[in-house]
Amino acid sequence: MSLLAIESLTAGYGAHDEILKGVGLRADAGEMVALIGPNGAGKSTLLKAVVGIVAARAGAIRFDGQALAGLKPREISRRGIAFVPQEGNVFPSLSVEENLEIGGYVDRAARRGRIQAIYARLPMLAERRRQAAGTLSGGQRQTLAMGMALMVAPKMLLLDEPSAGLSPMAAGELFGLIKSLHRDGMTVVMVEQNALEALAVADRAYLLVDGRNARDGAARALAEDPEIRHAFLGG
Amino acid sequence: MAGAVLAVPAIGFTTVYAVLRFANFAIAAHMAIGAFAGYVVNAWLGLPAWAAVVGAFLGAGIIGVASDFIALRPLRGQGALTVAIASIALNLMLENAIRFGFGNAPRNYAIPLVRDWTLGPIRIGPQQVENAVIAVTAMTLLFLFLGLTSTGKAMRAVADNPVLADIKGIDPERMARFAVGLGMGLGGIGGMLIGLDTSIDPLLGFRSILSVFAAAVVGGLGSIPGAVVGGLVIGLAEELSLLALPATYKGAVGFLAILLTLSFRPRGLLGGRAT
Repeated sequence: MSLLAIESLTAGYGAHDEILKGVGLRADAGEMVALIGPNGAGKSTLLKAVVGIVAARAGAIRFDGQALAGLKPREISRRGIAFVPQEGNVFPSLSVEENLEIGGYVDRAARRGRIQAIYARLPMLAERRRQAAGTLSGGQRQTLAMGMALMVAPKMLLLDEPSAGLSPMAAGELFGLIKSLHRDGMTVVMVEQNALEALAVADRAYLLVDGRNARDGAARALAEDPEIRHAFLGG
Repeated sequence: MAGAVLAVPAIGFTTVYAVLRFANFAIAAHMAIGAFAGYVVNAWLGLPAWAAVVGAFLGAGIIGVASDFIALRPLRGQGALTVAIASIALNLMLENAIRFGFGNAPRNYAIPLVRDWTLGPIRIGPQQVENAVIAVTAMTLLFLFLGLTSTGKAMRAVADNPVLADIKGIDPERMARFAVGLGMGLGGIGGMLIGLDTSIDPLLGFRSILSVFAAAVVGGLGSIPGAVVGGLVIGLAEELSLLALPATYKGAVGFLAILLTLSFRPRGLLGGRAT
């Protein structure tokens, strides 16, 4: 059974503004799924609908066999979905360590041990534990946002354009971290503007165009598809 | 010393603003509620000043949460300006409720009169020193709460980014109640400190709301360290203005400070974001 199963999802921001027009997606446990497509295709909206920031108007979202409809963001996060937004993904006036503590707010008993485990995995955060998150560089901030997501030991990570605005080196390091989490068994659903990079690391991928499913399949097959290469990868 | 006293309600005002993003002018009535709650504990029950301070905090905090729940919370979806205007109406109602119960006449706390200390040409009132000590203690406790406790950090997280805080599992409504209770409670302590220095009546808070608002704006709305600095700046400026201006113009200092801040540094001295 799929860990995440989305069927015919319709969602948008305003009353007459439909961004997702019947999208379907599934992610099995341990899988890394990439969502690619042109700007405005509804990729980020799909993630926001899963975590309850954008309300679904029609269709179904099931996680671990249970429907998520009508749940608040904090209730969805308690079920094991950790979302890393593209922007505003850390608390700028809080220190690195306080950000991690807030990351683990729903599971306070396990916080101390998890912070130590995250410091061991991401030593950069340990070095800056007293620094305000607002003073970190883009790559460091993105790493902290990943660390905050890991504080709840989630079943699934939803990443919204993790490499946006990062230098190639910082983006490379971040993809390295995402790959290592995936190797350890984490289920990842990732929206990426850098489609080539996303298809290189993902198991499967979905191509969204104008709020609808255009193509899906094994990431490697999509990356080699001449039509997709021509339309979205500039090749 | 006046600055330290002013900083306490200014912190209260800015705490509510940081979490709920609207200017709650009903803090004026809550300053009076705190002053009268302290008066009941001190003059009627005969307990010392420190117990009255606790009474002022609890009285203003509890009424603050209840009045916010009944009068302001239903309007939160209608925009910050609507809630701010409703808070002025709430303020009038609460002030008149105090007047209904206690009357208009000024009252004094049951504390002994003490002779001023003289150090050469300088005279210091022991009550003002005690007020400053209470103000600094209240602020220290607040900073410890915000810096060390899980709830305090969650409150700062909601002030930083309410959507992300919700994703991370923090209930924004619960934090809003906490911020209102804390903010109005601090307003109550501030009201009592002003009352200890002079006397108390239902309009005690109304007379100082401009200075409190100015302190919060000068420091940067939503910044708690800013409110401390703003309180000290406004308190000192008001006292120093007496050297050059008649006491009637003391109120102009707050207006001038708001005007200068908004013209030259809209974020305030320590404010992180312009709003």
